[in-house]
Amino acid sequence: MNPDPGLMLRRRIINRLMTGLFLLATTIAVAALAIILWKLVLAGVAALSPTIFVKGTPAPGSKGGLINAILGSAAMTLIAIVVATPIAVLAGTYLAEYGRGSRLAHIVRFLNDTLLSAPSIIIGLFIYGVIVIPAGHFSGWAGSASLALIAVPVIVRTTEDMMRLIPDSLREAAIALGCPYWRMVVSIGWRAAKSGILTGILLAVARISGETAPLLFTSLNNQFVTTDMNAPMASLPVVIFQFAMSPYRDWQTLAWAGALLITLGVLLLNVVARTIASKGSSR
Amino acid sequence: MTTDRQQPPAKIEIRGLNFYYNGVQALKDISLDIIDRRVTSLIGPSGCGKSTLLRVLNRIYDLYPGQRAEGQVIIDDRNILDRQKDLAFLRAKVGMVFQRPTPFPMSIYKNIAFPLRLYQKLPGEELDMLVVNALKRAALWAEVKDKLRQSGLDLSGGQQQRLCIARAIAIRPEILLLDEPASALDPISTSQIEELVRELREDFCVVIVTHNLQQAARIGDYTGFMYLGEVIEFAATDAIFINPQDKRTQDYVTGRFG
Repeated sequence: MNPDPGLMLRRRIINRLMTGLFLLATTIAVAALAIILWKLVLAGVAALSPTIFVKGTPAPGSKGGLINAILGSAAMTLIAIVVATPIAVLAGTYLAEYGRGSRLAHIVRFLNDTLLSAPSIIIGLFIYGVIVIPAGHFSGWAGSASLALIAVPVIVRTTEDMMRLIPDSLREAAIALGCPYWRMVVSIGWRAAKSGILTGILLAVARISGETAPLLFTSLNNQFVTTDMNAPMASLPVVIFQFAMSPYRDWQTLAWAGALLITLGVLLLNVVARTIASKGSSR
Repeated sequence: MTTDRQQPPAKIEIRGLNFYYNGVQALKDISLDIIDRRVTSLIGPSGCGKSTLLRVLNRIYDLYPGQRAEGQVIIDDRNILDRQKDLAFLRAKVGMVFQRPTPFPMSIYKNIAFPLRLYQKLPGEELDMLVVNALKRAALWAEVKDKLRQSGLDLSGGQQQRLCIARAIAIRPEILLLDEPASALDPISTSQIEELVRELREDFCVVIVTHNLQQAARIGDYTGFMYLGEVIEFAATDAIFINPQDKRTQDYVTGRFG
């Protein structure tokens, strides 16, 4: 068949046009991200100094650092993940392994997805209602609880997704050897989904380490370094929120430094998560 | 392939077996005897129920709530379809190898040690010996003896499948179910598996599902032709391929449908 030259020309023009449009859209998206990062790095690096890792947040006008916020964030994130991980991995495993087609699993999955997309400020208000008000004060525990509540649905979802990727033939192979179901899940299932589950946990860490709203209602802030989880506790996002909104120049500078630290931390976690995931999938 | 001078007894007696997937009947009133220490092949077009029949024999279908079997499958004087407390006893006796290789995500050594540890607490040396024996029996030892600590997932497809056979026979079952064990493999690996199956018949009652007619002709002592959930014809392999009694069997083995 002889191609119609006119039609061919039109197709080439449309092809060029569409490629151009896609390129433009990509450029806009990437440019916005690049500008944010550029500004962040520029202002953040200038604000970084060793003092940041030594001194706590200062009163306006005096010199200080972010160590109380860094340690507070680390402590609350760590506790949140340590609490959330076992619950969420077990729940995700239930959904993928035991609850197939069951009504309960269906409901749990739906609620989990709802929780996953719930605005984090609502989680904060909830913890404020059930922990902060009865206790009578803000605390690191309350902060951890709200972060854990945000991490759980993330990990449940990734765990379920990763366990579902395991082919049924692998399950059957273990069962056909006379292996009890629970042991198949523990020895074969979790092992096969290990890197995926770990990636989910790291992404949950990345997610909660940047959360601000739930901490405003729960751990609030603290000018000093504290190891007392019963006391209010500083965190990077809350300090950034307060300092960036303040009229004081040195506070604003510290906020930039904090923002850069969080971004770098999240970036690092993402890189680690991706490395683990790609190592896992190459097997 | 061979004619039996002294035919060993039936290892599995299937009587009036019906099978349902969510109420849809997939096997219809199947009765046949599967002879010990012989290779029995099940052939037939896709969807004829040959894999389903295989999956009844170790009750692996029990994993799925919508699946149900009725009738009798007697192994060693017991109807395995009866309610029983622990299917592990049945599965220790009836091993299975699947279409796609299913190495566990662990070392080659641990792949074999895993089922052994399910049944017995063994001292290290004895465990080592059993692992080595299983690998030798599955004709894999020479290829893996220097890399027992490496992941089973790093082996080639054919090696993985032999690893799975080694794993299945490590716990010394009496019956071995093979569900199209070579259909995902290249020709060389396939012939290695076939050779292995022929050797295994000395020690095991082997039931193999295959859609490769030549394979059934090469390795099966007995062959059953299945169609639409029924066993149309079951006889010595030669009889099925050279002198089929049923028109449908004849059409299938001569490639006229399927």
